[in-house]
Amino acid sequence: MIEIKNVSKWFGEFQVLADVNEVVQRGQKVVICGPSGSGKSTLLRCINGLEPYQKGEIVVDGVSLSDPKTNLYKLREKLGMVFQRFELYPHMTVLRNITLAPMKVRKKSRPEAEKKAMELLERVGIPDKAGAYPANLSGGQQQRVAIARALAMEPACMMFDEPTSALDPEMIQEVLEVMIGLAKEGMTMLVVTHEMGFAREVADEIIFMDAGRIVERGRGDDFFKNPKSQRTKDFLGQILK
Amino acid sequence: MLTYKFDWGVLWRQPYGEWLLQGLWLTIQLGALAWVIALSLGILFGTLRSVRFWPLRIIGALYVEIFRNIPFLVQLFFWFYAGPMLLGKTLQFKINQISGLNYYIAIFGLGLYTASRVAEHVRAGFASIGHGQYDAVLSTGMTRLQMYWYVMIPHALRLIIPPLTTEFLTIFKNSAVAMTIGVAETTFMSYKIDEQTFHGLEATTGAMAIYLVLGMTVVKLMDRIESRFRIPGLMSR
Repeated sequence: MIEIKNVSKWFGEFQVLADVNEVVQRGQKVVICGPSGSGKSTLLRCINGLEPYQKGEIVVDGVSLSDPKTNLYKLREKLGMVFQRFELYPHMTVLRNITLAPMKVRKKSRPEAEKKAMELLERVGIPDKAGAYPANLSGGQQQRVAIARALAMEPACMMFDEPTSALDPEMIQEVLEVMIGLAKEGMTMLVVTHEMGFAREVADEIIFMDAGRIVERGRGDDFFKNPKSQRTKDFLGQILK
Repeated sequence: MLTYKFDWGVLWRQPYGEWLLQGLWLTIQLGALAWVIALSLGILFGTLRSVRFWPLRIIGALYVEIFRNIPFLVQLFFWFYAGPMLLGKTLQFKINQISGLNYYIAIFGLGLYTASRVAEHVRAGFASIGHGQYDAVLSTGMTRLQMYWYVMIPHALRLIIPPLTTEFLTIFKNSAVAMTIGVAETTFMSYKIDEQTFHGLEATTGAMAIYLVLGMTVVKLMDRIESRFRIPGLMSR
């Protein structure tokens, strides 16, 4: 589904990604963790073409992002993305937030898009908020709307960029539950998070990044119990206290 | 010693009262029509200044710099005297035959000038929307054109309603400059009354009252628009 081959990226002199290699198969759930500034978010942004990279290649569903002929807009339809700060459109209702892209990009009719949006709101547990504006929702509710907005485009893969980092502790669980639900339904997922409980429960693979490199990769419990590199041990020691 | 005898009757006595009303009607037309131009071009050039593609940004910047830095009076004279010449001999001749040419030029000139100011507000509006919002729209598969049209422009416009209110007010006040090319708007009419009656003080006071009431009406209207389009949770008073 997603192939990342030897990808490197620089911001000026500073190297943010260094020879990153990774393959995400359809249906796989990959969790990326690592200290801030390690390039996790940048990697996600490179995958849907929001940021260019200078070396290597990323192939999504057989389409290379390095190819100048690639239609990035078409490609992004396959990749749903959820952001740390939700990024809902504050001047639109929840329903409109969700229906906008399906109506404008997929040219769905309004009733069709709204029907789908209501199903998604049902699924994330807040159908009663369809007419509300983002500012009237709690952080957890906003993030669930953001997930519904991404799902409305029926993406083949969902990418989450620290989806719970901006949330109050008691709201984290409601978002994680939605994500776990998605994982159980077989969605391909690429998740940047420090929620190790979530990683343990759903991840097929956990990647630890530091200074733009993938330092270590492992599976579930094994990753936590027997980290190989010292850097991973230090990091896990910090967050698993 | 001669004492000045006030004659406030010039404000409603015929034909003077009617002149002032005709002037007001023209002022409203000039301001409202020029505002349509100012708003559309302001949104267009303000957006061009904000996009990533640099040639478009330069076009936007050029427009704003040229129209914002030259006095409006000078611009108006330019369009009135030199404008038709820019179009070549045959067209120039035809254009100079249009009756009420000064009226159209006033609307056009006022619109172009105000657009440069609106463009700057629009740019400020875009700048105050967090960068993540752009990423979020693009990540749903929308094109940049769709992003600006459906999300960013409506969002930015809501953020800049207060400064736009000032611009909308100013366009009616600036329309007084149109008298210099012979458009018989409110200020023009107050001078005309002065010429005929030597009661310039009353006539000018009348014009001031007209602008004041017009301005307050515009503010009321914009207040309504502002509360109608307020972004929930963002602007609270």
